[in-house]
Amino acid sequence: MNSVLYARRGLTDRVFYVLSVGAAGFGLLWLGLILFTLVTEGFGGLSLKVFTENTPPPGSDGGLLNAIAGSLMMSFLAVIVGTPIGILAGTYLAEYGRHTRLAGAIRFFNDILLSAPSIVIGLFIYEIFVINMGHFSAIAGAASLAVIVIPVVVRTTENMLLLVPSALREAATSLGAPMSFVIRSVTWRAARAGILTGALLAIARISGETAPLLFTALNNQFWSSNINAPMASLPAVIFQFAMSPYEDWHRLAWAGALLITFAVLALSIAARLLESKRN
Amino acid sequence: MSEANGHAANDKIRVDVRDLNFYYGNTKALKSISLPLYDRKVTAFIGPSGCGKSTLLRVLNRMYSLYPGQRAEGEVLLDGENVLDPRLDLNLLRSRIGMVFQKPTPFPMSIYDNVAFGIKLYERISKADMDDRVRHALERAALWGEVKDKLNASGLSLSGGQQQRLCIARTVAIKPEVILLDEPCSALDPISTAKIEELISELSEDYTIIIVTHNMQQASRASDYTAFMYLGELVEYGETEKMFTTPENKRTEDYITGRFG
Amino acid sequence: MAGIALENYGTYDRAKTVRGFGRGDTRFRLLTLSAALLVVLIFLGVLAALIEGAWPAIKAFGLPFLWTEKWNPVTEKFGALAPIYGTLVTSVLAMLIAVPVGIGIAIFLTEICPGALKRPIAIAIELLAGIPSIIYGIWGLFVLAPFLQSTIQPWLIDAFANVPVLSTLFEGPPYGIGVFTASLILSIMVLPFISAVTRDVFETVPPMLKEAAYGLGCTRWEVMWRVVLPYSRAGVVGGTMLALGRALGETMAITFVIGNAHRVSASLFAPGTTISAAIANEFTEALGDLYVPSLIELGLILFFITFLVLAFAQLMLRRLEASGGKR
Repeated sequence: MNSVLYARRGLTDRVFYVLSVGAAGFGLLWLGLILFTLVTEGFGGLSLKVFTENTPPPGSDGGLLNAIAGSLMMSFLAVIVGTPIGILAGTYLAEYGRHTRLAGAIRFFNDILLSAPSIVIGLFIYEIFVINMGHFSAIAGAASLAVIVIPVVVRTTENMLLLVPSALREAATSLGAPMSFVIRSVTWRAARAGILTGALLAIARISGETAPLLFTALNNQFWSSNINAPMASLPAVIFQFAMSPYEDWHRLAWAGALLITFAVLALSIAARLLESKRN
Repeated sequence: MSEANGHAANDKIRVDVRDLNFYYGNTKALKSISLPLYDRKVTAFIGPSGCGKSTLLRVLNRMYSLYPGQRAEGEVLLDGENVLDPRLDLNLLRSRIGMVFQKPTPFPMSIYDNVAFGIKLYERISKADMDDRVRHALERAALWGEVKDKLNASGLSLSGGQQQRLCIARTVAIKPEVILLDEPCSALDPISTAKIEELISELSEDYTIIIVTHNMQQASRASDYTAFMYLGELVEYGETEKMFTTPENKRTEDYITGRFG
Repeated sequence: MAGIALENYGTYDRAKTVRGFGRGDTRFRLLTLSAALLVVLIFLGVLAALIEGAWPAIKAFGLPFLWTEKWNPVTEKFGALAPIYGTLVTSVLAMLIAVPVGIGIAIFLTEICPGALKRPIAIAIELLAGIPSIIYGIWGLFVLAPFLQSTIQPWLIDAFANVPVLSTLFEGPPYGIGVFTASLILSIMVLPFISAVTRDVFETVPPMLKEAAYGLGCTRWEVMWRVVLPYSRAGVVGGTMLALGRALGETMAITFVIGNAHRVSASLFAPGTTISAAIANEFTEALGDLYVPSLIELGLILFFITFLVLAFAQLMLRRLEASGGKR
């Protein structure tokens, strides 16, 4: 055995061992730094007022109430519109169109939309809703979020339905149930938890989306529950406040950032718990 | 062959298979199968793995129609109607021919809802009537005593043997004429297996039963007629007692005595 | 055994019920098909809307739009060179950092990490992926940029001051914000994604294959480099392309720290812009007949670039799936 070669191989191995550990450390370092700043700055700006008062003009005190409400409202609309469409489309791909070329093409376009830049989605909704309606609105904002929700739900629904064993479908079919009944009463039921997880992940995804809202729902410094008018959202407000030169606005921006991150983490944990309960 | 060897002269034919050929894509899996299945008797399909017995079973209720690329040619007559006719209503057919699978497949719902599933498909009946029907079906499946106090528990909470009897109850609830069983006991322990075999012989008083089994002893215990298949062909078919004691075909004898399989 | 006697149960009534199944069944199928086709419609709609919105600019500037640097809202002369350059440079730089680190993390998690730590660390890396991009943006603006400005950037400028090529790359006043900072933030955003996809791909490698290599006396690194990575090549490339697709379209993380200057500079420390940052920063205040269409045309270009990258990624990943993970 060539001992020089052997030693060199050992050295190479050790070098890459260190590099791999370093890589993991690198990742964890940034995570720690970001979370640390988020928590310290965010909690600094957090107070009861954040939840009870609307966004203030620069120089005065206030909260994020209208932004929080706006985000909740638009996310809610996006989810109730996007999720059923996504589930139905995913059902087609898994149940009716399996192995067909049409389904393959649909899946291709769906996956492109899944990773497409969300700002481009915003432009799309701008052209369709804002231009035709003549003004910015929460409806447009919700629409752009719905377009982001749909591909996520399609993907997860299809994957979850494919996991349902075919014996279950056959058992229902053998009783004489037509296909739509089998899907609705048995297959969907069996994949229930997984589909719900997909919806949760979609909500987590849109919670932090800013770009598509910038020119659909725009922003609104006052309280508004009119979905036919511009509406505030947490991400849009954070964008505006952080880019400004005002200290108290910066504080509120951090508080908002903490809230969003918290919501996203909570949803991800909920999705994970659901996933493990299923197994 | 169009009649079993030595069948009792007054046994009526319930399902008549005539010159059946079956294809998975371009592969021929069943070759010119002809056999009569007798009314309210238990018929067993036996044979080594891959001989086509499950394939044949699944033709009877057109289960293969779920999958493109699988097709059947020939005739399978149920009371004179050809089951293979593309114009035939599949849902109606399956309401008359029920199926129980190898692995117990309770639906993800309560025991009660499992049994009521099929009934609700076809009938609108009152809650009291439904309760009655569910109870009768569970009694028929010899499960009522064990579940009567927990009808709302999930079907998945039962043991393997109980789940399989639940599947039988579910099938019986819609009052089919024929019941197909695809290796129903292969996933169960010996005690559950014995219970189900007993159940089968009781059920055969009212239903025509076709059972696929890879367990020859089960076939000899539980069936009236046996069909032995090999590589997609029907090798021999006759009264079980006769087939297991004096088979006519050498290959049948070899399989039954364990020389291959 | 007591029970309901088997009458020849009203098959006639059943026939009627069963006939009714057909219509509802077809309706449901059409419903799901429409929803699925809606997805395709949305895709085509995006394309159509972008072309329509960008049309005035396309007509006015034609193909030279792609290589014109000038961006002047006052004279209404626009050119996409700076945003395109910025988009490509930040993404490529980000990938240069994120790909080795991401794969390194994946290797760490699959081969090196002790069992008890595996799940927490994996979850921590996933947390990184879940943090919304706007958080990265403000963190970059308030924390990273000032830090870079006061420490790393001056050091790099001095260190490479006399080195031929690198001095132009690392030149100029340390603004803190700029292409370099944006690329760094982008790389941190993208690396958990690469790590997750690579890990999934590594898990598809049959353990038997690795055991065979170990059995021959290969070191851990050699098993990775000579067996696992070649085996999962298509998947890793696909995952990387997917990450690139996301990096190209990333908006909020970059907008805060890119500097918003429609300039192509050689120095990484100079401010610049990317397509998405330009749109995000300028859209709501854009006035004039050609300003908005030019911004939309930028969006169209971005859509086109990401489509190519993502389609290629799909191809790679499908190949992995189709061959069942085999080469």
